[in-house]
Amino acid sequence: MALLQISEPGQSTAPHQHKLAVGIDLGTTNSLVASVRSGEVQTLPDEDGNHLLPSVVRYLKDGVEVGAVAAQHAIIDPMNTIVSVKRFMGRGISDLRLLGNKLPYNFVDEGMVVPRIHTSGGDVSATEVSAEILKALKGRAVKTLGGELQGAVITVPAYFDEAQRQATKDAASLAGLNVLRLLNEPTSAAVAYGLDSGQEGVIAVYDLGGGTFDISILRLNHGVFEVLATGGDSALGGDDFDHAIAEWILQQAGYRADPDPSLVRLLMHASRRAKEHLSVQEETEISIDADEIQWHGVLSCDQMNRLIEPLVRKTLMSCRRALRDADINNEDISEVVMVGGSTRVPHVRNRVGEFFECEPLVSIDPDKVVAIGAALQADVLVGNKSDEDMLLLDIIPLSLGIETMGGLSEKIIQRNTPIPVSRAQDFTTYKDGQTAMAVHVVQGERELVSDCRSLAHFELRGFPPQVAGAPRIRVTFQVDADGLLSVHAREENSGTEASVDVKPSYGLTDEEIETMLRSSMEHAEEDMQARTLREEQVEAERVVEALSSAIKADGELLTEDELKSISARRDQLVEAKGGNDPALIKRAIAELETACENFVARRMNTSIRKAMKGHSIGEYATEDESK
Amino acid sequence: MTDALSTNYFDLFELPVSYDVDLARVQHRYRELQKAVHPDKYANAGAQERRISMQHTSLINQALHTLKHPVERAMYLLQLKGVDFTMDNETTMDAAFLMEQMEMRENLESIREKDDPLAELDSMSADVKSNMNVMAEVFKNAYISGELDDAREAVRKLQFLYKAKQEIDELAASIEDEMI
Repeated sequence: MALLQISEPGQSTAPHQHKLAVGIDLGTTNSLVASVRSGEVQTLPDEDGNHLLPSVVRYLKDGVEVGAVAAQHAIIDPMNTIVSVKRFMGRGISDLRLLGNKLPYNFVDEGMVVPRIHTSGGDVSATEVSAEILKALKGRAVKTLGGELQGAVITVPAYFDEAQRQATKDAASLAGLNVLRLLNEPTSAAVAYGLDSGQEGVIAVYDLGGGTFDISILRLNHGVFEVLATGGDSALGGDDFDHAIAEWILQQAGYRADPDPSLVRLLMHASRRAKEHLSVQEETEISIDADEIQWHGVLSCDQMNRLIEPLVRKTLMSCRRALRDADINNEDISEVVMVGGSTRVPHVRNRVGEFFECEPLVSIDPDKVVAIGAALQADVLVGNKSDEDMLLLDIIPLSLGIETMGGLSEKIIQRNTPIPVSRAQDFTTYKDGQTAMAVHVVQGERELVSDCRSLAHFELRGFPPQVAGAPRIRVTFQVDADGLLSVHAREENSGTEASVDVKPSYGLTDEEIETMLRSSMEHAEEDMQARTLREEQVEAERVVEALSSAIKADGELLTEDELKSISARRDQLVEAKGGNDPALIKRAIAELETACENFVARRMNTSIRKAMKGHSIGEYATEDESK
Repeated sequence: MTDALSTNYFDLFELPVSYDVDLARVQHRYRELQKAVHPDKYANAGAQERRISMQHTSLINQALHTLKHPVERAMYLLQLKGVDFTMDNETTMDAAFLMEQMEMRENLESIREKDDPLAELDSMSADVKSNMNVMAEVFKNAYISGELDDAREAVRKLQFLYKAKQEIDELAASIEDEMI
């Protein structure tokens, strides 16, 4: 077919070319990037051979340090060195106050939606800090793989709410990464163990990282992953083990004052080392030599186990809860996957094994397992494995609700509902002639709005004035495959679309992101334009390529006229893509999409029909027409 | 050619239009449909295709939810017969039934003072469950014989019982959590 032979000089549209895609584990303590190379999945090391990038960013007057370099300065320059930033993602000032006295940063409190940390390099949000980590990983990948990345799968804790997921996606866009999918960390770990290939059964993924704990109950069936339930605690992890040990040291040393930030760091460091030693030996010596405190002592494995037991028990309570949500008993679990550095602690492995009554899987490095799974998924999504049958179905971890009279939350989408999902809710007016109304969206299981997380205020405007109670405003809440929410509204009686103004409770607005992008570039204007142009060109390439394979697969669904019209629009787009006007490309994409609308819908229907094995298409069509 | 977006859920899942559904079959069909339309299959496609894929996947998820849900499935069946109601404004007027529900709720409020509240809750939950099964039968028979008003009344009661069961199970869960 002549249509398929279009190729741009210098452009990489050859159908069989291996596309570069990566999986990124954006962790609280460490981050990793992995990729599938020559059929093998591996995490990518930096120049010194380190696979783990400490999730630490240091802001200087004239630059930014990321990773080990920054981590080395954590003790001497605590105010400008941001660690464990993942805990602040998508969080407001009030959430941070709850963690308050443990955090040695200067938060700028000016009633802003997104809290900013004051550093020598300026005030930065958690999203920007994460973007620096992602940029470092992206740079490492581009260098190692030798080319531009087509996309990335970035993992998030299954427990992350909408605001936290959005913040992660914003960070990726600041770092210039095309996000193929946000993937839940436990799901990713299960993929790494190849539990998707031909296995059936229910597995538990126990993920105890530096700062978060996740338990997920997954069902595997013929290559399809279903998340039956998730649970956990977004503020519990190995750092808390270190805290427990650090507090024990202070107690043993008879130190009663509030330790200052650099002493806290020193203690945390010593505690972490002690914990690591106790994974392989029965006892370890600890020496603290600071101005305020000199102490030397021995910590036994038994003693540490006693210190961390309350924390481990907390994780097991979450496990119980998840089993109940999934309607599953301990004995139904066929595998337990261990994820996160903290699962190296023998006490954790023992207690988890006891609880689930089976030997946990530990053969893949628990620090790398999530990134490895993400890389495998990225390879599939980018199209390197076209015949791949793997499909990851996810759920929404926390219920979405709206505020009703009396400050109560009415649940619109229950937790554990498979995503993407959309739900419509009808509203009406209280006053005659009312033409606008506000909707407050919250996330969480509790009944009172004040106990839930505020996600956003939506203002609906522009529906025609009627008497009170007459309008029927249908508000549709759409949650996409990444767990991100969008809202649209329509007045049903008049058919008018209401406009929706979103005020995210914690997230950044599109304008703020653009401002950040601009300020991060030296020659802001030109760079922004180059970036916009490149983005439109990439989207245009995607559209043209997808169209080619669509026509190749289902060309027979098109009439000759339609094919002609589509081809003409496509040629127009290819021409626009060669130029340097992003607006023109955008318009050409929109025109091509309009021309393709019926074709795309027809293909989707055909695809659904093809999925109906064992039933003839004719039978289905007749049933339908009789309605 | 018909559009999947306007097909009724039973047809979409290739099931007979009936309150009785084969849940194993629903799950099986659900996976097949998801494999065909899920956004991950269109990660490389243009924005338009991704949007349409999301719409279809959302619809299939909504259909799954409705088909699996004992009350919403009944409401949906009535909707297919042109009975449109929003549950908010509807409540049963059956005095005996309402009295029973009130007694159960009072019992629930004082459950923590019982010797073995969990055992009490388990048995209450089982009772409600069996009442739901009875009510489902009532609905089914009324629906099949075209007595839509009776079917509607059965759905109202089913909704009551469903909420009660949820409350009982949530209370059991929170008492269990406290005991850990």
